[in-house]
Amino acid sequence: MARRVTYTTGLVGSDERVAQHPQARREITVDVHDDDATPWGVDAKLRVVGTDVPRVDGPAKATGAAKYTYDIQPQGLCFAGLVTSPHAHAEVQAVDVAAALKIPGVLVARAAGGRQVTFPGSIVAVVCAESEEALDDGLRAVVVTYDVKPPAVTVEDAMADGAAQVDRRAPNVPPEDDPRATMRRGDAQGAWDAAEVKVEGTWRTAIQTHSCLEPHGVVVQVMPDGHATIWASTQATSGFAAGPAMSRALGVPAAKIRVLTEHMGGGFGSKFGALEWDVLAAELARETRRPVRMLLSRRLEHLLGGNRPDSIQQMELGGTKDGRFTVLRGDVLGTAGNAAGGAGSNNVMVYGLPNVAMRQRTVRTHTARAAAFRAPRHPQGAFALEGVIDRFAHAAGLDPLEVRKRNDDHPIRRIQWDLAAERIGWAEARGRGGQRKDGPWRFGVGCAAARWSNAGRGAWRVDLKVHADGHVAVMSGVQDIGTGTRTLMAVLVAEELGIGVDRVDVRVGDTDYPPGPGSGGSTTSPSIGPAAREAALHAREGVAAKLAEAWDVPVADIGWKDGHYEAGGRTASFEEAARLVGTGGLAVSGTRRPNYEGPYGETAGVQMAEVAVDVETGVVRVKRVVAVHDAGRLVDTLTARSQVNGGVLQGISFALHEERRLDRAQGDMVNPTFDTYRILGLADTPQIDVLLTSVVSGFNNAGIMGLGEPATVPTAAAVAGAVYDAIGVQVTELPMTPARVLAALEGA
Amino acid sequence: MKAFTFVRPRTVDAAVAALAETGGAVHAGGVDLLDRMKEHVDEPSHLVTLLDVPGRDAIALEDDGGVHLGAGVTLAALAENDVVRRFLPSLAEAAGQAASPAIRHRATLGGNLAQRTRCGYFRIASFSCLKRGADACPVRAETGVQETAAVFANEPCASAHPSSLAPVLQSLGAQLGVQGPKGARSVSLAEAWRAPEKGVAGDLALAADELITAIVVPPRTRPQRVGYEEVRQKAAFDWALVSCGVRVELDDDGRVSDASIVLGSVAPTPWVATAAEAALRGKAFGAEPIAAAAKAATQGATPLSGNTYKVRLVEVAVRRALTRALEGAKGGAR
Repeated sequence: MARRVTYTTGLVGSDERVAQHPQARREITVDVHDDDATPWGVDAKLRVVGTDVPRVDGPAKATGAAKYTYDIQPQGLCFAGLVTSPHAHAEVQAVDVAAALKIPGVLVARAAGGRQVTFPGSIVAVVCAESEEALDDGLRAVVVTYDVKPPAVTVEDAMADGAAQVDRRAPNVPPEDDPRATMRRGDAQGAWDAAEVKVEGTWRTAIQTHSCLEPHGVVVQVMPDGHATIWASTQATSGFAAGPAMSRALGVPAAKIRVLTEHMGGGFGSKFGALEWDVLAAELARETRRPVRMLLSRRLEHLLGGNRPDSIQQMELGGTKDGRFTVLRGDVLGTAGNAAGGAGSNNVMVYGLPNVAMRQRTVRTHTARAAAFRAPRHPQGAFALEGVIDRFAHAAGLDPLEVRKRNDDHPIRRIQWDLAAERIGWAEARGRGGQRKDGPWRFGVGCAAARWSNAGRGAWRVDLKVHADGHVAVMSGVQDIGTGTRTLMAVLVAEELGIGVDRVDVRVGDTDYPPGPGSGGSTTSPSIGPAAREAALHAREGVAAKLAEAWDVPVADIGWKDGHYEAGGRTASFEEAARLVGTGGLAVSGTRRPNYEGPYGETAGVQMAEVAVDVETGVVRVKRVVAVHDAGRLVDTLTARSQVNGGVLQGISFALHEERRLDRAQGDMVNPTFDTYRILGLADTPQIDVLLTSVVSGFNNAGIMGLGEPATVPTAAAVAGAVYDAIGVQVTELPMTPARVLAALEGA
Repeated sequence: MKAFTFVRPRTVDAAVAALAETGGAVHAGGVDLLDRMKEHVDEPSHLVTLLDVPGRDAIALEDDGGVHLGAGVTLAALAENDVVRRFLPSLAEAAGQAASPAIRHRATLGGNLAQRTRCGYFRIASFSCLKRGADACPVRAETGVQETAAVFANEPCASAHPSSLAPVLQSLGAQLGVQGPKGARSVSLAEAWRAPEKGVAGDLALAADELITAIVVPPRTRPQRVGYEEVRQKAAFDWALVSCGVRVELDDDGRVSDASIVLGSVAPTPWVATAAEAALRGKAFGAEPIAAAAKAATQGATPLSGNTYKVRLVEVAVRRALTRALEGAKGGAR
């Protein structure tokens, strides 16, 4: 059953640019599910949605009241840890745990993992003890004998003649003519031959680790009654313990396992599913009959916790003298560690490129496997693509911004380019290769684009209970990984019910509630938000039914206007009417409906960066970033800006600092601590101007899209463009350390 | 970390006795020591803490114009103290740029001088390291990560000394006050270092039962100018890639009668740029001799293939530190 609704989607607001770009708004007609809320169009008068709402769990986090996995300490808690291989390539010949087992307090010490070591950090044994001190001693007492073999640590090493093969079932690198590695569009060779302007180059990016503040891990407790509870730092409570591995490890059927992620200190793509150490912790909880905590150390976080693959991107861009691209060709290599897939770049979808030939190959190395990392492949791809575009603009004698605008048809991004340029003062800020300077400092600006596609998915359900005091409780298994999911749900419910956000208690991160989506692909908000809104609508309708009885009018006569019920001259707020639900309350639920056919399925973003480069030391400082993003309809503009701030900071950090450094003989990481693995700090934080273009996407009842990933996609590319503009030579390798900047200057 | 006994003496003598008796490690701020213990690079059976020993955080201007700095003075105090800011401005500058505010409030001057290299090969127990007893330094191998390694005196060990205060204090002619079982002694900081040796982790030539009690900066005998420069990748909370402390003595004609130019993070111990000092002596202090001295500071550099850029940073840091000293002179500062 459905009803037909016609409404206007697209850019919210009365900016005159909307009139100039007619595609920035579109009227659509959709068949809305009967139980679903009527979609809000661009002209909907909303009270809370689209305003700055402080996150509802902010005070708990600021005061320490919020409990993370590490803070969970059931009585009798034991501590588990991993013995890992210091070698990248070896065979385990013996694991001697006798000495470890003699240490007072050590409960379990045994071999774990396989015999073949293919990366440093490979798990070879596990220890569980009654204290952290005994655990540390126990881990040190395990004696492992290895047959050490020469490793292939880098992409170059793995591709060299005679390199050790990482996986005996497959070569380290697929052959050049592997059809799965190649993506073609149009006639790339013909277009290249015909191109009036041709540029080429090689861009490289380093491996970035996720570096979540909260490490990976779990606290596991098996209750005497046969139930088990897992407190997990996970991006997906649903499914964490649903597979056979956890049930087997715990000896408990899935229906008796509860997973809790009340608060989480970062995931960025690295925390999906029960990982090897999580399963080991479950086994130990069963073996010891004690609650067990297993959290990775910072060093193991860097080694095992996932990473963004590196890249070597050979690029060729051709086009016309007036700045239109006709062809992009590329050959990309990267390593996702000892696994296939995951490396590469995503760079052919932003600008109009009629002819494309891209080859992307993942190279196996003796390093720990990569994991999804906030917009996998995109920041790398943007760095090379925008870099080759900057080079093209230089060769064609055109303004880098103008070249981009000539090749960008996205109706929202066309507006965003102008918004960003106005805010940063593009023309005045340009350095043109050293013309803006002060002593050794050179100044310049760069720009880059983002795209994302994230309308959400899944038929998730949200439960809601109305209490007689006018407060409501909202329940979902979805986790808030720090992105503000709780707050987003509270805002949508408050809007629908005409109540304050403080009257809405959102409980998430608990598999006892209806399953929620995993937090990946920037889909959490569009996946769970519409269900929360529908649940609130059903609460409003349920209370309306009670009101109809009380007022003795047909329920159909009860209207809802300006946040109040009304019928025959009488009005009541939701809070007033909620008294009628009585002591039992009123329980309802909302379900996310299949996506409607919205016209704005691809979100857009533009970032511009201004930098200062010390040409004597090679030091780069980012002075300012302007970030313009569309994320569908914005529910809470404060958390949205926070997302963009975080994405920009992570992007600058990727541009200037972050790099996993491996010894090429041993394969182990020489900088697995935060004083040597550099991450952007407070003093390096530039002024960030976030401009949000709220766009009703049309895909769901609230028009929501996601924002987490696109916000970090263009930053490093924009910073690199700004360095080029400042000093007149391109730095083609990330991070742009003093060493690399000086090398580029010397090579110029 | 390995379990240890925490010993809390109340006097320096008792601390020295406890060190001799237990073979333990000296604990003050614990910033570097605890890092090493967590990584099992150090596993002392006893920690002899100086936290209960009074008076170690004294800063005093002595009658002769020298400055006495207790070894327990924190980096934050060095950065903020009026005596230090007025009489030892290059030291205040270096202290204020070190680490983060939280660490500066915990880390002590003595600990800063006694800290070990941040070389990952030394800090990560799974690597072999000459300082920890291996025959060779893996940083020097073609497969080593060399970007932050030493560019002077980097054989047989290429570790870089991390202290940014040591070069400044050494440029100021500081004396190290040391106390051991046989009593107190004073040693010039310039002569307190030892070159890396197989199996020797510490860079200060102190006995295991000796501890630093104070650092004394002698009074100036002639007009002098000082300067400090540090090149860091991050704007704050980062190790220096190169640091440089300079002191230039001028005669009545404004000529350089003596110069001290000491670099940090470029060698296994603080590195004296002898040729740069020589290039300045007898010259009228100004831009040209400064440029020549900066160039001379790179003499003798033996960079590895992965850190040649640091030689350029040496030149820039020396030039900037000397230029600051020069500009300070114009401004009438000490």
